[in-house]
Amino acid sequence: MKFRKIVRVVHRDLGYLSAVLLIIYSVSGIAVNHLADWNPNYIIEKTEINFTPNADTNLTQDQMQAYIVDKLSITDSVENRFRESVSKIDLFFEGKTISADLRSGIAQVEIVNDRTVIKETNFLHLNKPKKLWTYVADGFAVALCFLAITGMFILKGKNGLAGRGKYFLIIGAVIPILFLIFYL
Amino acid sequence: MFKSLLALFMILFVVSNLFASDGKTFGKDITEKETTKISTILETPEKYDGKVVKVEGTVVNVCESRGCWIEISSDKEYQTIKVKVDDGVIVFPMEAKGKPAVVQGEVYSFVPSIQSDCMDACGDKDKHAEAEKTEKAEKVEDGCCPSKKVEVKKVYQIKGHGAVISI
Repeated sequence: MKFRKIVRVVHRDLGYLSAVLLIIYSVSGIAVNHLADWNPNYIIEKTEINFTPNADTNLTQDQMQAYIVDKLSITDSVENRFRESVSKIDLFFEGKTISADLRSGIAQVEIVNDRTVIKETNFLHLNKPKKLWTYVADGFAVALCFLAITGMFILKGKNGLAGRGKYFLIIGAVIPILFLIFYL
Repeated sequence: MFKSLLALFMILFVVSNLFASDGKTFGKDITEKETTKISTILETPEKYDGKVVKVEGTVVNVCESRGCWIEISSDKEYQTIKVKVDDGVIVFPMEAKGKPAVVQGEVYSFVPSIQSDCMDACGDKDKHAEAEKTEKAEKVEDGCCPSKKVEVKKVYQIKGHGAVISI
């Protein structure tokens, strides 16, 4: 088999094999690249609710919880709680936290929802599964190297590496080098 | 060919599920046998400075942006201790909030930077003005930010090595 034919076959099949992973890593790459601007895994909604204050400082945690549940008409079951101070208590529910201040009568409600799909791509991209996934990710990285190398030799002639391809290759190499020069 | 690829995919899927972490353990395994009460650490934190401890409590707060810290409730009311981990090495999920956790790590202390308070004052016009009105306010070297002479207390935290959270 001729060299270029082998290159085409390897590039084609590796391309099929890597396509989904490439999209997963790309989506997650953009998502985690903007950590400063957003949370790539969760949508966190925070709202404030007012209720009738209670100035009694002798309330037990049970009494505080019962008061909040009653005043806010909560139907979900409380999973856990934490008394932050004499008048403040945090109630934890599945995917929701209510931080209430009985003295001021203000409750902060925080609802956490997953960013479906993006969270899963981040899970894989950031190697959260670890163990076997580490080797799958390594294999994918090697496959990307093969794709890059074989991609350069698919075509010959004026559209190949010897033709216009070399200019694109140089531009692609110069961009990271420039950033390294200016920012490193 | 298609059948072989499908079989390979199925094997990979099953094996990766078998070996993948269940998402409840974070970082290194917990090896400490004895659990130290958080209230005991907070009572005399200097005694535990530099020591590796295992603590238990409810996760009452999680770092929203990077999952790089959690706050664990003490066995006594009103008390918490922060567990800080290296960014990206351990990432605590938001689902951890409200869940029981066992954490192992090293107690450490630091003095919060006055500079950051100063930066806060500079960044906030009201705080800036308030600071300027304060009698004890003095100009710092860069002349930008007036800062009060305040006593800065040491903060004790745990540098988390590993955690098991009942998610």
